[in-house]
Amino acid sequence: MANPLLAAEGGATHLLLGNEAIVRGAIEAGIQVVTCYPGTPSSEVPDTFYRLSPEGKYYFEYSTNEKVALEVGGGASLSGAMTLTTMKHVGVNVAADPLMTLAYTGAPGGLMLLSADDPGCHSSQNEQDNRYYARLAGIPVLEPGSAQEAKDMARDGLVLSRKLEQPFLLRTTTRVNHLRGPVKFGPAPDPGTPAGFTRNPSRFVPIPAFARTMHERLLDKLDELRKEAEKSPYNKIYGNGEIGIAATGISRAYLTDALKETGLEGAFKIMELGFTYPLPENMALDFMKGLKKVIVIEELEPILENDLRVLAQEQKIDIEIQGKGLLPRTGEFNVTMVANALRAQVGEQTFECDSCIPSELPQRPPNLCAGCPHRATFFAARKVFGDDALYSSDIGCYTLGLLPPLSMADFLICMGSSISAGCGASVASDKPVVAFIGDSTFFHSGLTGLASAVFNNHDILLVILDNHTTAMTGHQPHPGVEKTILGDNEHRLDVAKACEGLGVTQIRQVNPLNQKKTLAALEELKEMSGVRVLIAREPCPLHARRVYKKTPPMIAYVADSCTGRAECLDKLACPAFYKVGDKAAVNPILCNGCMLCLQVCNHIKSKKRGS
Amino acid sequence: MSDITPIRIMMTGVGGQGTLTATTLLAKSVLAAGLPVTSGEIHGMAQRGGVVESTVLIGCKSPKIGAGEADILMGFEPLETLRAMPYLRKGGLVLSSTEFLPPLAVSMGKMENVKIEEVQARVAECTDRAHYLPCQSLGQEAGAVQSGNIALIGALVATGAVPMDKETIAETIKANMPAKIVDVNLKALELGFAAMSEA
Repeated sequence: MANPLLAAEGGATHLLLGNEAIVRGAIEAGIQVVTCYPGTPSSEVPDTFYRLSPEGKYYFEYSTNEKVALEVGGGASLSGAMTLTTMKHVGVNVAADPLMTLAYTGAPGGLMLLSADDPGCHSSQNEQDNRYYARLAGIPVLEPGSAQEAKDMARDGLVLSRKLEQPFLLRTTTRVNHLRGPVKFGPAPDPGTPAGFTRNPSRFVPIPAFARTMHERLLDKLDELRKEAEKSPYNKIYGNGEIGIAATGISRAYLTDALKETGLEGAFKIMELGFTYPLPENMALDFMKGLKKVIVIEELEPILENDLRVLAQEQKIDIEIQGKGLLPRTGEFNVTMVANALRAQVGEQTFECDSCIPSELPQRPPNLCAGCPHRATFFAARKVFGDDALYSSDIGCYTLGLLPPLSMADFLICMGSSISAGCGASVASDKPVVAFIGDSTFFHSGLTGLASAVFNNHDILLVILDNHTTAMTGHQPHPGVEKTILGDNEHRLDVAKACEGLGVTQIRQVNPLNQKKTLAALEELKEMSGVRVLIAREPCPLHARRVYKKTPPMIAYVADSCTGRAECLDKLACPAFYKVGDKAAVNPILCNGCMLCLQVCNHIKSKKRGS
Repeated sequence: MSDITPIRIMMTGVGGQGTLTATTLLAKSVLAAGLPVTSGEIHGMAQRGGVVESTVLIGCKSPKIGAGEADILMGFEPLETLRAMPYLRKGGLVLSSTEFLPPLAVSMGKMENVKIEEVQARVAECTDRAHYLPCQSLGQEAGAVQSGNIALIGALVATGAVPMDKETIAETIKANMPAKIVDVNLKALELGFAAMSEA
């Protein structure tokens, strides 16, 4: 049975994840090219496209990073293909360079950039608000607040992008990406083939002489786009009152529920914006007319709030505008928070939910899985370097090496920074520097840092944790993988050869599950200076089970001779271990059979799984 | 849609336990019953053995449940039931498993876990509407430990706290789950329903 997301006909209603809804919307628009770099909370969009790619009528790729993804997407759109490029919010930092120029050149085939923002830092290093990028670059913004809107805005944004030949930003937040709701499907016409490239250097080659004109063209386009926002079905005004409420994105859902909760449905004039930039100024003026006060409900930065202030000042409207004074600039909102902001406006008592008091309980932090090869690498590195080295970490599962007892992350800036920030630290500190980077992150943005490290002759030991997949974000392929869910990688890039090509002369490769060899390699590299690379190669056990269909035949158990020394418990922190009385034990269901523990203690033995 | 009295259901469990499968099944059942539904989940780091929280909301636009907003709390693991209690409004309904999946600090012998009696006593301070089921055991009885989550959904339907019958859930299981696990889950649904009806 073909996947319903690919169905040509409309009419059916399905319960979809916000990210699946975006996929369907793009298919309904006639998407021809999809590029991405995965990242929570955006990943289910490209992963769904990838899974469906054997049956889909589009080209799909996992690019090596977000800059590459947007450049591939931009080139495809310049050549007439309707294109979607997806990434998480911090990925847009990486892709910012092409983004700025694509707003100038425009996107003849249509181009939508999905930026999945993460208020509350559920799975990110910051909560930057990428609506600023739209203003910096000059690209229109759509902000869905439900699964249906995620689908419809992906479709309508792409269609409008092709019509006006300008890139669009689909800006979601974690709640929208990961909500589920009913979605009514529209028809999905055959996308046909892209129109092809039409040569026009004055439009597509931004040398200074052309760029000045391109900037003027962009400003004209923004005026056109503003007119589209004025008549957009995603923007509406309703209700009456002296106080106005303006809301964007998912905050509109909190507002709707809060109005019902408080019984204040008729008390306010409301403006809901889904097409939020350029600001539909006539609509906003209409909204502000006759109001004494406007309350703006938007998560993170006061962007609509400030847009309305500017408009009011320009138009000499005497009106009070409040937003961040009432609701926080950090984290996510919820219904009670918004309901209390509404109650305060009408002089009603705010309502503190009579909830149960939190208890002090044992925490359940995320942890490296049983059998994770990173644990073995970290264990060996700690044995060789102890607390003497500075550990420069990077972004991936291995960031969890931060937690004791491994404690293998002293600093982290962003994707790829383990190498370059490690180099900086080695210049300023007299301590040895050990940097850790995953294979996917190495191809994402480690290559340039490593070239620079070699060129500048830095003193750094780089450990590449090669687990053959992009584990953290859900096991997506990257250039170095051997296999994917769809088959063998026929164009595999070898990590060691890449390092060699970049001029590294001291490269060792080990399987970290072999502690003896790993320790020997680390000891040897420790004594050298300059750029040294250790590649720790062993597949992620989850990936191995799923794609290699491999589960180790043997598992570990603790023999009766266990002396209760507890080194296994104290130094490995493997989730398969537990304590019974004074002795350690291994849960046979959780044990993955990596056999690291056998190399740590003589009282741990192996046996056949299931015996 | 706005005529329906909102019902907010908070669900909590441990990564890998099948909490999200149960959440999606319940959400699809609500849709199949012709009711407006939104559901929410948080992915990412939580999958590495951490806490997994998810929601099913009937008659709401928001997919999120804030402190004190949940009408119903379903805990697939008792320590997580207790941790999620601040989401429950006072007097709300609690359905919880009694069988622990100890966190690492506990299994490593670094910390003492709470006892089930303590969980029950602390829940009782917030609400007198609480029901406890040995979910993993019921799941094993049905044929697969993960189906214990579906037993808890069976118990939920038996309380009458959601406007849905057991048959709607059963039809949704048949329509959405892989054929080889349908029977196990149907049995778990019956076991949970029966356990609640007898209580």
